[in-house]
Amino acid sequence: MPGNATTPGFPENDGPAGGGALELCGLTRRFGALTALDNLTFSVPSGQVVGFLGPNGAGKTTTMRAIFGLIDLDAGAVWWHGSPVGAAQRRRFGYMPEERGLYPGMLVGEQLEYLGRLHGMTGRAAASATQTWLEQLGIADRATSKLESLSHGNQQRVQLAAALVHEPELLVLDEPLAGLDPAGIDAIGEVLVQQARAGCCVLLSSHQLDLVEDLCDSVTIIDHGRLVVTGSVNELATGGPRSLVVRVVGDRDGAWARQLDGVKVSELDGGAVRLVLDESVDSQAVLAAAMAAGRVTEFVFARRRLSEVFRQAMA
Amino acid sequence: MRQFLPVVILAVVLVFVAVRLRRRGRTGSLLARRPASGRAGDGAPVLGVVGLVAGREIRQRVRGRIFRVATVLLVLGVAAAIIIPAATKGKSQALQVGVVGQSPPSLQPAISTAAVSVGGDVHLVSETDTTSAENALQSGHLDVVVVDGERLLVKRAPSSGDTSQTATFARALAQILGAKQAMQAAGLTPTQQAQLAGATPLLITALHPARTTTPARTTAVIGLIVLMLMLTQYLTWTLIGVMEEKSSRVVEVLLATVRPLQLLSGKVIGIGVVVFTQAAVLAAFALVLGRAVGSDLLRGSAPLVLLSTVLWLLLGYAFYSWLYAAAGSMAERQDQVQSLAIPLAAPIIAIYVLSITVLSAGGPPATYFKVLAYLPPTAPFAMTALVGLGSATWWQFTLSALITLASVAVVARLAATVYRRAILRTGRRVRLREIVSDRSPQRLR
Repeated sequence: MPGNATTPGFPENDGPAGGGALELCGLTRRFGALTALDNLTFSVPSGQVVGFLGPNGAGKTTTMRAIFGLIDLDAGAVWWHGSPVGAAQRRRFGYMPEERGLYPGMLVGEQLEYLGRLHGMTGRAAASATQTWLEQLGIADRATSKLESLSHGNQQRVQLAAALVHEPELLVLDEPLAGLDPAGIDAIGEVLVQQARAGCCVLLSSHQLDLVEDLCDSVTIIDHGRLVVTGSVNELATGGPRSLVVRVVGDRDGAWARQLDGVKVSELDGGAVRLVLDESVDSQAVLAAAMAAGRVTEFVFARRRLSEVFRQAMA
Repeated sequence: MRQFLPVVILAVVLVFVAVRLRRRGRTGSLLARRPASGRAGDGAPVLGVVGLVAGREIRQRVRGRIFRVATVLLVLGVAAAIIIPAATKGKSQALQVGVVGQSPPSLQPAISTAAVSVGGDVHLVSETDTTSAENALQSGHLDVVVVDGERLLVKRAPSSGDTSQTATFARALAQILGAKQAMQAAGLTPTQQAQLAGATPLLITALHPARTTTPARTTAVIGLIVLMLMLTQYLTWTLIGVMEEKSSRVVEVLLATVRPLQLLSGKVIGIGVVVFTQAAVLAAFALVLGRAVGSDLLRGSAPLVLLSTVLWLLLGYAFYSWLYAAAGSMAERQDQVQSLAIPLAAPIIAIYVLSITVLSAGGPPATYFKVLAYLPPTAPFAMTALVGLGSATWWQFTLSALITLASVAVVARLAATVYRRAILRTGRRVRLREIVSDRSPQRLR
């Protein structure tokens, strides 16, 4: 396990250890022989966008459903600000499930107002929040259209508005960026960051690791229903083995680096090689080897990419 | 007054239930076991979350084209059932009889006697000659013409099985006039002739009373047809509505904040309100129209049959809607729905056919049919039929309604369990076996 990754050690089934607004403690769920969640424990602090990562079938959607009480748990509990989550807390949560779902034949504006009211807003407050969100997401002119008549991207925006309309304190979004064009990703990403800065707790799952790296303050990686890594993006990027980018004029395959002990070529990018160094390796020796191979135009310690962290965690 | 007692009792029960629901709605949300909290207090409508869900259901349904078309068709159907018999009854009243040439003094009483045999009035019209009389027959102004008191003219020769008013009248008149001629030829004195003409038929003693069609029975038949149509339509709505929420996946968004029982109750109650409104409008329309055209269908105890039908429509819906909603939660595509809808529709169709048969046959119904009138799946149709036959007392009616109401509570609980276990299982149709064997370590909220 990478050095900087932290694994909060809640005793199984115990209450929250404190530290996060949302705390998942010892979640366990079995479907027959399959254990979808295996004593999963982690927390999500307020005011942050947290990326929730894991390969397909790792248990991300099951975890999100557990937060909303949509599946029965064999063990464990979800806590919100120190209290077990119940119907009252969930009214203050916003959810965007993986399989998008709204009423296809209902008018966009009416639909959002309805969802706002189900979350306890007054009719007037729901109408005004609907208007605000539709304007902010650039689809105010579609308020009186049926949802099914909107493009995929705009339907996705409405789905986000549906999770946001009641000004939730916790936003849980399953793959919110899937299938969006760059403009859509920017628009939704901006809203999520803005929500987090306003104090909202945002948990989102995604397979687009580069986007998660840009968007999220921290990430939690799970596999087989178990926590693998959790930590801030910054910690994870700077932690672990050193990573070095070296560009040698005329070098195409990084053959010079492959001969060095304790050095692994992790990526070839144009004329540059990305190297991962063992702790014992002296970077000056690497520089000397590079200079021996040709003229060195770039020699820089790089942050680890999230994709590297992810691959390492899965390895 | 005794006749109206069941309706009064049931109205009181319904008002009581409504007041209770309203009160619970104020303190939290309807059917909620735990009190609602958070910001719900600010904006929660009178009936809480269930009221919101029901409100959406009502708005969406009433706006839909299917609802408007179905309402117009039902109104037209009921109007036809009331107006057509009333209109044809009006036409049958006066037979137009033309008289050509000299008419013997005995003609008038003979025509009156023949008119009695068809149960209608006769209007005599003098015609100058045979040609003008034939023209009047041709154009339909006259039904029968008597020429010189000894020859009858009609437009079309009556066949042997023709039981129309004109044919029956013509046959009777021909027989009477023929008998008179025979009596004259036999040289009977006028006194003897009068005695023969005034002969009273022998009294017929019957083992069973005649099969008559009372207005209440006919109204009950129409009520059963409307009951069947409306029940089928609205139950299908419930089934498809739940299925569409599952297939569009909106249910996952909803269940993240609304409890399954609240969502299910809201849907059932919302559609129920539409059912009641449509049925009440239809019944009021039938009553007003029936009075306006002087229809026989709404005389006597028929309005009571009408009220009873509306009530049983509601009770039938209340019972079956939960089952249909539960079935809807097990499917997410039309092709998956059929195998679920058929077993649910079978008892409805069977009891409908049986009730129509029993009603048409008349007479006291068999014991097994009376038993069916107390079983919730069959009571809506069987009890309506018994009311139409006049074979149900007010306490039997009330008892049956109360049994159905009590069973609704049981069915609702069962349906909510099925719904809770099936609604988020997607991909293929959920089998009942999976639901029964589903272990739930913790209840879904």
